[in-house]
Amino acid sequence: MKNNISITFFFLIFINMGSLWSQKKYTVSGTLTDGTNGETMIGAAVLIKEKKGVGTTCNPQGFYSLTLSEGSYTLQIQFIGYQQIEKQIVLDKNIVLDFKLNPNSIAMKEFEVTDKKDNDNLTKTEIGVEKLDMKEIEKIPVIFGEKDILKTIQLLPGVKSAGEGNSGFFVRGGSADQNLILLDEAPVYNASHLLGFFSTFNSDALKDVTIIKGNSPAQYGGRLSSVLDVKMKEGNNQKYNVAGGLGLISSRLSVEGPIQKDKSSFIISGRRTYADVFLQATDEFAGNKLYFYDLNLKANYKINDKNRIFVSGYFGKDVLGFGDNFGINWGNKTATLRWNSILSARLFSNTSLIYSNYDFNIKINSGGADFNINSNIKDWNLKQEFSYFINEKNTLKFGFNSIHHTITPSRFEGELVTQDKKESRSSLENALFINNTSKINEKLTLDYGLRLSAFSLLGGDTYNIYEKGILKDSVVLENGELGKTYYNLEPRFQFSYLINDKNSLKGGYARNTQHLHLLSNSNTGAPSDQWIGNSYNIKPEISDQISLGYFRNFKENKYQFSTEIYYKDLQNQVDYKNGADINSAPDVESELLFGKGRAYGAEFLIKKTQGKFTGWIGYTLSRTERKIEGINNNDWYVARQDRTHDLSVVAMYELTKRWSISGLFVYNTGNAATFPSGKYSLEDKTLFYYTERNGYRMPAYHRMDFGATYTKPHKKKYESSWNFSLYNVYGRENAYTITFENDPNDPSRTRALQTSLFRWVPSVTYNFKF
Amino acid sequence: MKKIISIKLIILVLFTSFFLVSCEKEIEIDLNEGDTQIVIEGEITNEPGPYKVKISKTVNFNKGNNFPGVSNAIVTITDNLGNTEQLIEIENGIYQTSSLVGIQGNTYTLNISVEGKNYSAISKMPMQVNLDSLRFNEFSAPLGGGNSLTTVPMFKDPVEKGNNYRFFFSVNGEKNTGYIITNDNVNNGQENQRPIFDQELEVNMGDTVIVEMRCIDLNIYNYFYTLSQISGGGPGGGATPSNPPNNITGDKALGYFSAHTIQKRLQIATK
Repeated sequence: MKNNISITFFFLIFINMGSLWSQKKYTVSGTLTDGTNGETMIGAAVLIKEKKGVGTTCNPQGFYSLTLSEGSYTLQIQFIGYQQIEKQIVLDKNIVLDFKLNPNSIAMKEFEVTDKKDNDNLTKTEIGVEKLDMKEIEKIPVIFGEKDILKTIQLLPGVKSAGEGNSGFFVRGGSADQNLILLDEAPVYNASHLLGFFSTFNSDALKDVTIIKGNSPAQYGGRLSSVLDVKMKEGNNQKYNVAGGLGLISSRLSVEGPIQKDKSSFIISGRRTYADVFLQATDEFAGNKLYFYDLNLKANYKINDKNRIFVSGYFGKDVLGFGDNFGINWGNKTATLRWNSILSARLFSNTSLIYSNYDFNIKINSGGADFNINSNIKDWNLKQEFSYFINEKNTLKFGFNSIHHTITPSRFEGELVTQDKKESRSSLENALFINNTSKINEKLTLDYGLRLSAFSLLGGDTYNIYEKGILKDSVVLENGELGKTYYNLEPRFQFSYLINDKNSLKGGYARNTQHLHLLSNSNTGAPSDQWIGNSYNIKPEISDQISLGYFRNFKENKYQFSTEIYYKDLQNQVDYKNGADINSAPDVESELLFGKGRAYGAEFLIKKTQGKFTGWIGYTLSRTERKIEGINNNDWYVARQDRTHDLSVVAMYELTKRWSISGLFVYNTGNAATFPSGKYSLEDKTLFYYTERNGYRMPAYHRMDFGATYTKPHKKKYESSWNFSLYNVYGRENAYTITFENDPNDPSRTRALQTSLFRWVPSVTYNFKF
Repeated sequence: MKKIISIKLIILVLFTSFFLVSCEKEIEIDLNEGDTQIVIEGEITNEPGPYKVKISKTVNFNKGNNFPGVSNAIVTITDNLGNTEQLIEIENGIYQTSSLVGIQGNTYTLNISVEGKNYSAISKMPMQVNLDSLRFNEFSAPLGGGNSLTTVPMFKDPVEKGNNYRFFFSVNGEKNTGYIITNDNVNNGQENQRPIFDQELEVNMGDTVIVEMRCIDLNIYNYFYTLSQISGGGPGGGATPSNPPNNITGDKALGYFSAHTIQKRLQIATK
């Protein structure tokens, strides 16, 4: 009841803002697109030259709307890497103006072009937000020559790699499952291929990648640490393009083009590894399988000036097999059907129906008897979001999101298999959200919102209730029968204060909740890890994060400096008992432990964005700790991903018109690890004795990579380039694991053995486009 | 089953062997010196005695593998019928029964007093499940290695749930090293189908295979399950290591006390 009152109050505030200005006002609105390929712009600014500080940003679908008093104005359209457009308008009625922006390299005709000031980073309220430049990703050296967004974001402060060559990541001390990874709004439950050496994202098909480190606006929710919002290209609606690459590990091919020019377009992008094809020729490998593939598809159709629909899909699969005895495969499938509608000059609607599925399968043939181990998570997701451009100062976003989850835990199946039935569980995750961005004055911008999340058990199984690991009660819910519902109110608030043209101060607070939890019984994450929803024992994870940042630009915005500090408090964290059996235990919930966590740190980033020489230096000083009932004598301990120092240096230099080179250096404190404090003998084997969880450190990790790109002279439409890279230039043997064992050469002693991966991995990739 | 679940290991081994990118070396690590702990290893079986209880101590990692026995302990084993026997120290730290007879279904309590501390552990010997025979299945090992055989111990799991098993096997006299344990969480009450194998110890046609099957209680299952999880943690990283949960109460000690049945079978490997 109390909640209801505060919601009503909140809505009243929002509604009041809309009615404050009631003199004669008109709206200019429209859609911003890239003139070369028809892709909608994301986050481009529309400003009024005559009124400093008045303007708007287009929404992720490229729609902008500005409501102003009657009069004459000059519109300025700005976006990084694009030429600025200026356009005189006379606002004496509502007008619709669409703009096509052209990249800096293309000469302009229609509109006046001026230099644009790149100080968006100062004026936006967003804190802890980084956008990846897809063109930059191509230049940064990467292992096996596979350009990869998940590896590039790991070079940003506050984002840490899950391990050598791994696409898994940790944000501000959170665990890997606390990142919401969205591909065209569809959650991707396992974003890695093989052991994480490759991500599921094929960069060729991507348009925009944004990571929000915890202070997300209210339209996002469901994970504690971050939102990685990945948007696929829409497909060029002007001309056909074919692009591809041949690499050592995999090859890629994309085709995009108009179905009807200016009206509809498509893109198809595929990738497959082919190491196994060569390996079939060797005796050792013949008959075995090891590969993965990805397929991205998208098409859109402009019904009319006001309505547009999009269909996008992703299919990816990893396949691993040994003869007839044994096979594993896993993969994600996502599909998004989206409808954008301009309801009025000020109201924009985005409706999405999303399907997401992650499947893991093991097939075993043992003595003629087949059996399978399966687990699966399946979502149906409906999202409605309105952007309401109230006036020149306020932009409101509101809507709802409703997700139906079906989670099938790992279970054994086969003709000769019986097991206490492990049933699929259904649940419903609902959210209502509202968020307003308000320009109070030239200097101060506020962004505030509220998200109400509700997670309901929807039956299908018997839910056991445990107290300290002992079964106390059971609740049987038929499929579709409503069980416990968890409600959570998640306030979000951010501000930016522009001290002057060069300095700004930002801050924010956000509460996030998480209703799905990943159970992993290993250190680095595996495809077999399972998701589990809230239950009677598992409560929603909650995080509260406060951050404060100072942003400063130097030398006419050529250099951007920022520093942010954060403190994050985590509740209801899920872990499991020592030696928990999460695969065959009759009820995995009996194996779980619960506790809390905290994380804090300072992040520094200095970036050079213009000129022949570009790049950045990022540094993070941080700490992350957990306190779980039943682990480490119930005392606080540092989490595995705690790394005190984390440094990355990225540099790119355009040597000549044809050659560009790049280099990167990373250094971080080793992960926290549990090492033995003694040893003993049992059954004539040497075993190790452990005293504290994560009481030791792996050796520090550091590495340098080089890359070079040679762009061949264009032949008519045909463009091509060679990309060379060398991973781990000075051959550092970084510890991947450290194990302890009896010395095979001298059984009277024990030794510590370090395993390292990847010394000097050279690679070459040929990219083409026509 | 254990080996099959370790997918990460398989992928990693495959991957690194393809690209020849992994390397190992011995390193120096400065480890803290933990307090010395008492280690208890005691068992009673359905085979004729004497049964032994070993008491030793932990040593620091950097010391040699000499684990000192603990003498002058008072060690007794009591069954649920009230029979008690005090064990006699026959060697430094090794204590032995003289008349006690292990019987299936009985519950045994071990009590130890030494150096001013008291330790106690209870274990119930399960009823023996008969190991009927061994069957050999063809198996093509991951990473080539050609075709070999796996051994399936043939036994029928009882209808009642809660049976736990531990296996050892040897091939032409060479013993396996890992921990092989299983239970009836899957396939309760069925004829066993699950093979036992060891990547290091191949079985081929004509080999002499001896399988030892033990019926163990739940605590002992959990103990060895945890150990198997930790020791499976080579490349790719297993579970975070910990001391396995054990059945010793009173003062803190490492190790276990297990009452279990033992049955062995020898067979020549054939298809």
